[in-house]
Amino acid sequence: MNSTILLQSIGFGITTAAVIAIGAMGFTLQLGVTNLLNLSFGNIMTLGAFASLIVERWHLGLVPTILAAPLVGAVASVLLARTLLAVFARRQNGAFELLMVTLAAGLIIEYTLDALAHLQVFQFQFPSGATVHLGPFVFTVLSLALIGAAALVLAALLAALHLTRLGKALRALSVDPKLARACGVPMRRMINLTWIVSGALAGLAGLVYVTNSLTISAGAGLNFLVLVIAAAILGGAGSPVGAVLAALVIGVATEVVAAFGGSYYSQAAGLAILALVLVLRPSTGMWSGPTRDEVTV
Amino acid sequence: MPTETSNLSATQMPSAPVLAASDICVRYGGVEAVAGASLTIPTPQVVGLIGPNGAGKSSLLAAIGGQSRAASGRVTFDGEDVTQLPPHQRARRGILRTFQTASVFDGLTVFENLLVAGLGDQGSRLRGALLRTPALHARERATAARAARVLEEFEISHIADHYGRELSGGQRRLVEIARCLMRSPKLLLLDEPMVGVAPHLVERIGEHCRAICERSVAILIVEHSMEVIGSICDRVVVMASGEVIDDGSFASVMKGESVREAYLA
Amino acid sequence: MSFYLSTIAVYFCVDLLAAWALNMQFGWAGIPNFAFILTQAAGAYMYAVVALGPSGGLTAFQHYILGASLPFPLPLLVAAGAGGVVALALGLITLRPLRRDYQAAVFLLFAVIASDVVSADVGLFNGSNGLAAVPQPFSSLQTTLGLGGYQWLYAGFTAVICLGGLSLVRGLGGSGWQRALRAARDDEAGARALGVNPAVLRLQVFFIGGMLAGLSGGLLVGFISAWSPGAWEYSETFAILTGIILGGVSNNWGVFVGTFLVQIAFQELTALFLPQIGYPGLSDALVWVVIGVLWLLVIYFRPRGILPERRTRMSTLQPSTSPEMSDAD
Repeated sequence: MNSTILLQSIGFGITTAAVIAIGAMGFTLQLGVTNLLNLSFGNIMTLGAFASLIVERWHLGLVPTILAAPLVGAVASVLLARTLLAVFARRQNGAFELLMVTLAAGLIIEYTLDALAHLQVFQFQFPSGATVHLGPFVFTVLSLALIGAAALVLAALLAALHLTRLGKALRALSVDPKLARACGVPMRRMINLTWIVSGALAGLAGLVYVTNSLTISAGAGLNFLVLVIAAAILGGAGSPVGAVLAALVIGVATEVVAAFGGSYYSQAAGLAILALVLVLRPSTGMWSGPTRDEVTV
Repeated sequence: MPTETSNLSATQMPSAPVLAASDICVRYGGVEAVAGASLTIPTPQVVGLIGPNGAGKSSLLAAIGGQSRAASGRVTFDGEDVTQLPPHQRARRGILRTFQTASVFDGLTVFENLLVAGLGDQGSRLRGALLRTPALHARERATAARAARVLEEFEISHIADHYGRELSGGQRRLVEIARCLMRSPKLLLLDEPMVGVAPHLVERIGEHCRAICERSVAILIVEHSMEVIGSICDRVVVMASGEVIDDGSFASVMKGESVREAYLA
Repeated sequence: MSFYLSTIAVYFCVDLLAAWALNMQFGWAGIPNFAFILTQAAGAYMYAVVALGPSGGLTAFQHYILGASLPFPLPLLVAAGAGGVVALALGLITLRPLRRDYQAAVFLLFAVIASDVVSADVGLFNGSNGLAAVPQPFSSLQTTLGLGGYQWLYAGFTAVICLGGLSLVRGLGGSGWQRALRAARDDEAGARALGVNPAVLRLQVFFIGGMLAGLSGGLLVGFISAWSPGAWEYSETFAILTGIILGGVSNNWGVFVGTFLVQIAFQELTALFLPQIGYPGLSDALVWVVIGVLWLLVIYFRPRGILPERRTRMSTLQPSTSPEMSDAD
């Protein structure tokens, strides 16, 4: 085994992890608070990426390009929650039934985008900047920026969750919504805020994903969502730190497998880890059963 | 009450215990719900398990039924060590139970609920479903006839075709107990069977418990109502903080200091 | 016209077989198997590679594993076996005490990743181009019967297998096995406390459903002679499920009606009779949009489907003749 290649691929893996982590943090935050496994999350990522692509084509500069994705993501996310999901949640709020609704919503978004995009795959180039040597690893300026962004998001989330009253309310909400409501937590506002933040992170994740893959098509989000969900489930619902750690494991695993000959299987490696955990995991905690079936969107 | 015990005939006198649970410990995370509780139950006897909230009654039931694995201790049933067996294996040996929130299969009719229990694992094998042997047919017919009789005994024949999700709280309890009977239990564990049940049904469920016991079935019942415990139990076991603190007839337990202390603590 | 009708007849039978199989897993057992299409794909691919003959020679334009030319009925059996084995492997990983929505997500992950891997790995089943020129069974009959006659022959054969599938589904339908499966779906702990072992039942229903799905995949590829990742995207499972829920979960005839409406009346007939709109491929994309909308409408307005599950009445299960049946338990 070639140790240079190994170290290099670990370096790539950390970058990939940063990309996954941004999406996984948004996903896990929203899963923790609303208890809804939102399968349209990947499509909101795609929406964000497309928004940035359009702004970039208008040549408005770097800042608007970067801001477009989270903005559109946040709007799309909260719109989805307040319209479609709210309508269905009023009728039946089983976690599984609403998951099916998000899947249908995702399908509609994906193929509408596909139709609007004339089924095309678009090039989306980002300057990756100079290479930087950090210890045994080699990074580009772009990948360092991605890692920095992920770290920043994690720090901001942790600070917001643990240092502010708002964060305390959110955490109470994710443990027991009924009790939280009884204690005077402003549910509606909290939940909308969650959708906005997680949507913004989804949009950002979509953009970040594109800087790595350099292409964007309507179906891109779903493939990426696979790794995001794997990280969120692996890390435990509602835990940003867990999501980041799981993203690290998955990111490094996919890149190491890709480096050592199995580029076809790099994504499958991420899934294999999840499968392994499913088979070997202890039968306790959030894994084990229907702890809380009702969803609050 | 003493009169209840005395109406057992000589042939049904308590013999070797059908259940012996010794030094059972159950832990959830770091919390020790049951801390070295021991309990033996002979057949036929109705044993009441009482104690304040959090005393570990339901956890002890779960350790006997197999829903929770005991961290230490032994559960011996009918002379066999069942401590390591999963719940379905224990059910096949004759330990049947009801749950604190009544378990009824909502998407099955009441009659089907009984059939699931009555056919047992033998009657619900894939091989049987594919081959449809005459023996299986006969078994299915016999089970259906028996289910009809149990429904009549419980006076719920009129809801035989109702789906589980269409039942009232009291009906759910009755169906759950009737379902256990379809499996011919040797030991029946009832976890608060009277909660959420209309008063006239409470009395009926109590009568059913006595009647079931007459058929050489041991019953362990967790119940908060002392009235119910006093009217149907031959013996009462008191738990507090995960331990058994008293064991005896209803009258003697009520006279003892330990119960009062446990509830006041 | 006759040509289209026979084609649609084959498609319908294949879709029905798949829908009944998925209904066993989703309706009876309550398992949200969003990776169902994998088992159909496994059957189709395995049928192809054991019918195509060795890789190279006439088929040098494509690469694939195995490569045998088994005589006709055998590839179908291989297809069924492959579907069953893939389903079993999938079940061993995913059928764990997991929240149902998490389980659904995990199935979806498997479907997406499998599609990625098969598309990328050219050596396995020729990657994203897929396999083509799969020999049709008894293709010499095409000269004697004509293409139209041959198509109707194949449709008849598929219909016979479909009827076989129906009788299997109906036979299992009223059995104690199926009842125990439904019981475990409604309340796992309650079923276990009655002596039912849900883990075994679920693996069994996965295996049987997988075999039927593999069989349907084999029948399909034997007819259309080609198979590629585009034919089994995750959304295909969603389309089958839409049919099941529209028609009626756990009702064989409901599944029949729903599958006809979604897969045939909507997907095939619109493609056939509506004029092509916009650029090529637009109407395909729009069909998926409409399926998504249809799905939402169905679960909002008619969650139990057009033909809801039929109540099994006591009188149909109980022998009226012998009230003094012996207590043989």
